[in-house]
Amino acid sequence: MQSDARWMVSMHDMVSITPGKTPAAEVHPPAAATLASPATPHRETGTQRENPVPDTPLARQTALRVQGLGKTFRSGFLRRRDGGVQDVSFTVPEGSVFALLGHNGAGKTTTINSILDLIHPDSGTVEIFGVNHRRQEARRQVGYLPERPYFFEHLTGRELLGLYADLLEIPAVEKNECIDQVLERTRMAEAAGRRLRKYSKGMLQRIGLAQALLGDPRLLILDEPMSGLDPLGRREVRHLLQELKAQGKTIILSSHIVPDVEMLADTVGILRQGRMVHVGTLAEATGGGTYQVRIAGGTDQSGYQVLTAHGVDALREVLDRCGAEGLPVLGVEAGSGILEDLFVKAHESQEAR
Amino acid sequence: MAQRILALTVSTFRETVRDRIFYLVGVFGFVMLLSTAVLSPLTVGAQGKIMTDVGLAAMSIFGLLVVVFVGSSMVRKEVEKGTILTIMSKPVGRREYLVGKYLGLNLTLLCMLVVMGLMFLLMTFLAPGTFSLRFVPVIYLTLLELMLVNAVAVFFSTCVSPILAAVFTLGAFVVGHLSQSIKDFGTLQGSVFQQRVSETVYYLMPNLEVFNVRGDVVHGMTVDAGHVGLATLYSLGWVGLLLIFAGAIFARKELR
Repeated sequence: MQSDARWMVSMHDMVSITPGKTPAAEVHPPAAATLASPATPHRETGTQRENPVPDTPLARQTALRVQGLGKTFRSGFLRRRDGGVQDVSFTVPEGSVFALLGHNGAGKTTTINSILDLIHPDSGTVEIFGVNHRRQEARRQVGYLPERPYFFEHLTGRELLGLYADLLEIPAVEKNECIDQVLERTRMAEAAGRRLRKYSKGMLQRIGLAQALLGDPRLLILDEPMSGLDPLGRREVRHLLQELKAQGKTIILSSHIVPDVEMLADTVGILRQGRMVHVGTLAEATGGGTYQVRIAGGTDQSGYQVLTAHGVDALREVLDRCGAEGLPVLGVEAGSGILEDLFVKAHESQEAR
Repeated sequence: MAQRILALTVSTFRETVRDRIFYLVGVFGFVMLLSTAVLSPLTVGAQGKIMTDVGLAAMSIFGLLVVVFVGSSMVRKEVEKGTILTIMSKPVGRREYLVGKYLGLNLTLLCMLVVMGLMFLLMTFLAPGTFSLRFVPVIYLTLLELMLVNAVAVFFSTCVSPILAAVFTLGAFVVGHLSQSIKDFGTLQGSVFQQRVSETVYYLMPNLEVFNVRGDVVHGMTVDAGHVGLATLYSLGWVGLLLIFAGAIFARKELR
């Protein structure tokens, strides 16, 4: 896979890439997540919370480890089961982008809230950079954006970020600089002096992203980061996330908008009815992806023909043949809808059981 | 830890103050003027007493309104709106959060009482023969009482809905002022059961009459410094106890 990635980079010189579409092999680094074996469920205990922070190389490399996570919600007089997650396990190495996919109510937010200790899981273990998630310091490395961010509406954007900077114990001398940086990054500098009650939904999303980026966290957990944004805003956030990824940040994002995930994620976890039905890299899941190669000439009026290659090996073969036969390659596009197919398949196979 | 609690205190203070809480201070001023202009002339020879009595009672009632309407819904509202999610995703302990919110509202109450107290003293200064520094300990004891009731409100806001929390807080305020009477009533009834019930209520509920010295001061008596000291300890003891219980409940709470 690594050699494929290098090969695709060199292809930039040979073929044009359609703007906005990046070849899958370039986007996705090698195997980023593994489906962890389900752990024996057990409750968190006070003793566990006091465990010393592991300092092994493995602990440093793994940003997040979720094992056998279970949470059941009950409601009504008869305490009937009302959603939750069961036996969710996955591992996210540092520097990768992991996407939690699933329909509304599939358990994405429950999983995220359990990771952040906002809700207490019934079973399973969660470690953030090797530290049990129930320990306060585990959250020092985490930036979190909830699904529908809502903040103190009478504070200004800058005051709000000041509060979060203090919660992160950012020294007073660095505080203003840190706030300015995240405001610039999220393009909220101009609106920073206005009270949050006057912010639009998109602006709340941006200031939410700004607070998540404060303190330069190593792990970003973003619950539906694109929701509430217009197409331009979505593109900007996507670019910001790509930038953060390039900086080596670990990103966990949940979404039910497949194309967004497809452009960002190295690894996907598909949740259905509270169960993880698929965890794997996009390349593993899709056999390297689908590519469309446009070649000059052809029989119709468009003046070009399109060849479809399934996987990187097939793409290489097509391009080799074009080169050998002297056919000018006009462009290569990463096929869209790869993940969508996988998403649908995972849901269908689960339904069939 | 101190930086985090201070940050939460300041943001809570800003949020409550900007949420038009201080309009109540304006209403207080209006009540003071009304008591001076309308009620005082109706009483012969006790104009000053009416004004001071109404003024001191109004301070307590307006403070109570803030505690009941803001304190009772403070934690629950943040959970329901989701403002708490980003706060608790930072390295903040649940108890730190609760203490920060509690202190933030206390700061608002302190500012309100300072402004209302100054307005009150100014009014007494303008009425001949009414001004006295004896009123300062009364205002201080009102603050201690409101701090305690605020802790009751925060305790209830961690475990029941905002409406129930407001009702329970108001109930605790009323029972707290009647607890001595309830105990005496039980003793007078003669039945052992009634005696036990009234004693249980008396010991389970804070006795808010400890902080009520308004009647004595209005009638010219001074507040003993020892009483003020003991009342301070009594208030702080109850606040500590209530926040410990509230923290234990809140630590187990699901934030969703």
